[in-house]
Amino acid sequence: MSDATETLSGEKLEAFEKIKALLAQQEVPGAAEATPESTWEQLDADSLDLVELVRALEDEYGMEIDDKELDGVQTVGDATDMLLRVRSAQG
Amino acid sequence: MGQTVVTGRGVVTPIGVGADAFLDALEARRSGIEDGQGTCDDFDPSDWIDARTQRRSDRFTHLAVAAADQALEEAGLTDQIGESIEPERIAVLIGTGIGGLSTLEQQTRAVVKDGERAVSPHMVPMMMPNAAAATVAMRIGAHGPGWCLVSACATGAHAVGEGKRMLERGDADVVIAGGSEAPLTPLAIAAFRQMGALSKAGRSCPFDARRDGFVISEGAGVLILESEEHARARGVKIHGKVAGYGASNDAFHITQPDKNGRGAIDAMRAALGDADASTGDIGYVNAHGTSTPFNDRVESLAVRSVWNGDAPPISSTKSAIGHLLGAAGAVEAVAAMGALERRLLPPTLNYTEPDPDCDVDPIADGPRDANGLVATLSNSFGFGGQNASLVFTAA
Repeated sequence: MSDATETLSGEKLEAFEKIKALLAQQEVPGAAEATPESTWEQLDADSLDLVELVRALEDEYGMEIDDKELDGVQTVGDATDMLLRVRSAQG
Repeated sequence: MGQTVVTGRGVVTPIGVGADAFLDALEARRSGIEDGQGTCDDFDPSDWIDARTQRRSDRFTHLAVAAADQALEEAGLTDQIGESIEPERIAVLIGTGIGGLSTLEQQTRAVVKDGERAVSPHMVPMMMPNAAAATVAMRIGAHGPGWCLVSACATGAHAVGEGKRMLERGDADVVIAGGSEAPLTPLAIAAFRQMGALSKAGRSCPFDARRDGFVISEGAGVLILESEEHARARGVKIHGKVAGYGASNDAFHITQPDKNGRGAIDAMRAALGDADASTGDIGYVNAHGTSTPFNDRVESLAVRSVWNGDAPPISSTKSAIGHLLGAAGAVEAVAAMGALERRLLPPTLNYTEPDPDCDVDPIADGPRDANGLVATLSNSFGFGGQNASLVFTAA
């Protein structure tokens, strides 16, 4: 685990680990080595992976993620923040 | 413009994975039909495709990749693309009758049950009929022409024939040509059954009086085609020549063959003409032989007509493996070439009751020695009345 991952804790660490696990399920090539700083390109994930990830998160947490929430989501850390933001907004 | 030769063969069939295993099983009179269908039980996608590609592609693509990999390896091309072979000179032409049917069915259920957002973002690239050709090209870096043709049950034969034409036109130095089909899904089976095409007895007995429909199967066949000069310069083994290709259209009925076999006759004559061969040169016909009442009667009539009543022995590979739809023509090309290479005519299985309407010699007692065999012909006739015949000669 990288230093960056070690700095995560609580809810944020849990959300990050969930995303990482979903990326691994999707067989994203770099999933096992993903850190919050990893970009989709670095993980060799494409736009379809991102759509699949979002749908899986929706299923997992029983919520809807509007496409506009994905603006600026470039890294796994961005996705983690987005997930926490949407979850807290939707209570 | 040189002759088109075959330097690599790959098949996935209900009686074996790999051309030699398939030909051995045909000779041994093995049947791959169980419970009225032909499943490729010996095929494990994980032996051929990484997990990521596997979950992003349909079974028809998995089958095609396995067949293509075998063919490339046999042709000694696996490590040669970008080395001795220019990537731009390799074409991939792999057809299918239908495409990613199980994907379509799963996603249809998802949209009906849970709405639009439940549909997989991978649905389109998984189901599109050209996905197999695209996936094969991506894996090996083939940058020449890539496409998929569709002519129902004649697809595989048309692909081999059109591959020959691509070489003749100079479109490529190597063509990876074939067909693939994964139709063993609830919807497809129901649909073929509803139209009365499937055997109620679950038995494939071509040319037999008891035949009552075809047996649906899955599989793939892929050939490596190149010019004879190109193959000789590479010093690879040649398994046979695609000497002639003929295509025609019944323009008669969307599923029934022309009663007089007009399209079938035209395709066979065109293939013989393209090969510059006479009927007397052909020592064996690999039939379309679906085991449907219509096809086998009309095909028998057509063959007798082309040979003026003096037809060579004719057998149906579908008696052993069922009907691989869009893959059938490519797999049966391997059988027709195998007969030449082994000088052995494969049998028609399950033939016990002759039908006076099918006045041909179906090699029921086969395999049969054929020492003087110099040329074979393979027929494929698709729904839509679209027909292809191929003539093969020895290497």
